[in-house]
Amino acid sequence: MRGIPTVLITVSPEVSAQMRPPRALYPKGFKIGNSLGRPGMRELQRQVLRDALTLLTENTRPGDYVTREYPDYGEQYEPPKVKQ
Amino acid sequence: MALSRKCVPFTPFDRTLDKSTIAIVSAGGVHLKDQEAFNIADELGDLTYRVIPPDAAAQDLMVTHHHYDHADADEDINVVFPLDVLRDLEAEGFIGGVAKKHVGYMGYTMQLKAMYEGTAPQIANEIDKGSRADAVVLTGG
Repeated sequence: MRGIPTVLITVSPEVSAQMRPPRALYPKGFKIGNSLGRPGMRELQRQVLRDALTLLTENTRPGDYVTREYPDYGEQYEPPKVKQ
Repeated sequence: MALSRKCVPFTPFDRTLDKSTIAIVSAGGVHLKDQEAFNIADELGDLTYRVIPPDAAAQDLMVTHHHYDHADADEDINVVFPLDVLRDLEAEGFIGGVAKKHVGYMGYTMQLKAMYEGTAPQIANEIDKGSRADAVVLTGG
């Protein structure tokens, strides 16, 4: 098995970064349970998924995550912090 | 955390998205309504996973998970398991296709070693053998 390319969509970027994912997208300010956006916001969901998949084709840094902003999401939330 | 000391398991993606088949693997506790629910009564968590077919309808999927608020996913499963969204991207030609198998599991467990050495390779094997996926989108809750 040669391995399978993956991309993670995370709303807990600090927590996910501990696992050093090969590629990850953090949609900034999305709350837990809203990885792709809010219910029914299909165009936003499509854009988040397009952006995540596009990371597969870009020179991202393995183990790190990319932050993108989506103003259409509305109210922003603070992601959980890693306990020191 | 022991996992973070391992090498990043990076697999290059040497294709174009419009010719690639994509699978979803979610830790958000997603499964078909007629599949056995995840066991949320066990404090150690549930190490099993469910295979979701590519033609599953959103209304036939549900979440069993007690470590995040899944009220929004109950209303629209695509917020954690974007199968309809993936089908949209196939229709618009952004991706080549939707994989033949997708996977839901409950990403809460106190049995990290069993998850890492047992469940995770089983899920990878499920995707590798028979899903025909060229890449995987991972989501949590």
